[in-house]
Amino acid sequence: MTTLVLDNGAYTAKIGYSHEKVSVIPNCQFRSKTSRLKTFTASQLDEIKDPSGLFYILPFQKGYLVNWDVQRKVWDHLFGKEMFKVDFADTSIVITEPYFNFTSIQESMNEILNFKRSSGSLSAHRYFQENSSELCCIVVDSGFSFTHIVPYCRGKKMKDGICRLNVGGKLLTNHFKEIISYRQLHVMDETYVLNQVKEDVCYVSQDFYKDMEIAQLKGEDNTVMRDYVLPDFSAIKKGFCKPPEEMNFTGKYKSGEQILRLSNERFAVPEMLFHPSDIGIQEMGIPEALVNSVHNLPEEMQPHFFKNIVLTGGNTLFPGFRDRVYKEVRSLTPTDFDVSVVQPNNPICYSWEGGKLLSENPDFDEMVVTREDYEENGHFICEEKFDI
Amino acid sequence: MVEKKIVVRSQDTNQHRVLDRATRQRRLTRQLEALEKDNFQDDPHASLPQLAKRLPQFDESHESGKKRKKTRGDHFKQRFRKNFQALLEEENLSVSEGPNYLSACAESSKLPQRHFCAVCGFPSNYTCVSCGARYCCVRCLGTHHETRCLKWTV
Ligand SMILES: Nc1ncnc2c1ncn2[C@@H]1O[C@H](COP(=O)(O)OP(=O)(O)OP(=O)(O)O)[C@@H](O)[C@H]1O
Ligand SMILES: [Mg+2]
Ligand SMILES: [Zn+2]
Ligand SMILES: [Zn+2]
Repeated sequence: MTTLVLDNGAYTAKIGYSHEKVSVIPNCQFRSKTSRLKTFTASQLDEIKDPSGLFYILPFQKGYLVNWDVQRKVWDHLFGKEMFKVDFADTSIVITEPYFNFTSIQESMNEILNFKRSSGSLSAHRYFQENSSELCCIVVDSGFSFTHIVPYCRGKKMKDGICRLNVGGKLLTNHFKEIISYRQLHVMDETYVLNQVKEDVCYVSQDFYKDMEIAQLKGEDNTVMRDYVLPDFSAIKKGFCKPPEEMNFTGKYKSGEQILRLSNERFAVPEMLFHPSDIGIQEMGIPEALVNSVHNLPEEMQPHFFKNIVLTGGNTLFPGFRDRVYKEVRSLTPTDFDVSVVQPNNPICYSWEGGKLLSENPDFDEMVVTREDYEENGHFICEEKFDI
Repeated sequence: MVEKKIVVRSQDTNQHRVLDRATRQRRLTRQLEALEKDNFQDDPHASLPQLAKRLPQFDESHESGKKRKKTRGDHFKQRFRKNFQALLEEENLSVSEGPNYLSACAESSKLPQRHFCAVCGFPSNYTCVSCGARYCCVRCLGTHHETRCLKWTV
């Protein structure tokens, strides 16, 4: 029996056999204005030479699977001969699903998959394996759709502490597109390109108002400002920042390159994760929500959470993210508590790694729901075995 | 009751029109909803009318009558064509006990609201009388009046 682990994210699927490496593949379909006859699925994105104006067809809405037709096409592609060539009779599939998944989605998933967990619980498993002396940890999973903060104690999630911020990478990219379109260049249709710009230039500020002051300075004193050369997908395949020595503070360049000039956008966009209320989402930011969540848990456990904060998901890759979380959590907790914030090497695939470790667990076979189990016992058996 | 989009309080000049609270709130809601959108352009296939029938549309519930191999869970396909909102309502969470999707949402922050210029994004000290947007200087206010303010329908 082999095991295929699939962290089925709203943006990318993190997938691989438990004895192999993980691959990160878009969990969606695409249409391009240059190939008007074809719908591209998942990794076929690579076939699109010019992804400007790329049109996305996503299976998820607000983090929950709603578009099954699209999901089926992606799964057929992933499981089929083009990619993982899954022999279903001889493979257990470990898949993730979101917290508080809707009943009907769960039931649909039970029908095809053998083992479900939230990606946070796989991350917690990964963390406890490496830090076996720790009793508790609190997982921050900041992905595409939203951000979850979830405390785990001895491998069990503490439901009362689960907190969701409706801020994720999708919102950041859309907000980024909106302000750039209003201030300098219409890019509302360029989700693909601007998402890349976001990942290339944005960072989490350590001193927000100081950076705001710097971003207002003229000339070389403005160390925040960057000129980003947009890709044209012929001569320039990938966008990049002008190296500082080539930067021209008038913003005028001889070559015909298309430039985006970025200043406060660089740190004001990721700032939504720390102050959602800046754009009118009346929710706490990540550090405040984390501290609040811990305060809802039994008092004797609280110190254990503060010293085991684990950051996962794509947004935690913004430079400065970890330090800012540390700094704010530190300032909001009593000084006699230790605070430790761990940023794994690969925060996007951390939960996949947890799934891999879990499948190597000697008890794993007892945790899966086989086809026979399911046919005999229905959803009931899944409810019993899957602690999402 | 028919709701009017813009409430006109004083009518001497356009500059003195003031949006009421409900209108401002609607604007904000629409802005936030736009941040959830997958695409802002049209589907490139939508403009190919003669092909639209043959190509699978992502909203379309079924492909042509061709027989496919039956796999595990094939039948769920038809059952679930509900959007997020419908699924949420179906769960009936307002009457359920214990933590759930709605109760897990982060509370509002205890920190003071911060304000940024709607035009340039820098910290702002002033509020537009007409629409409540924030601005930082006369220049940005000018841009705001010319481009958004009362003209803007998101
Ligand atoms: N280096 C980076 N810097 C900033 N953001 C990044 C980086 N790499 C990826 N991201 C962002 O992270 C998001 C995807 O994160 P992740 O893969 O954790 O989400 P997901 O698991 O697919 O979604 P979800 O958990 O919401 O279902 C995207 O919005 C992407 O733009
Ligand atoms: Mg995820
Ligand atoms: Zn301004
Ligand atoms: Zn105004």
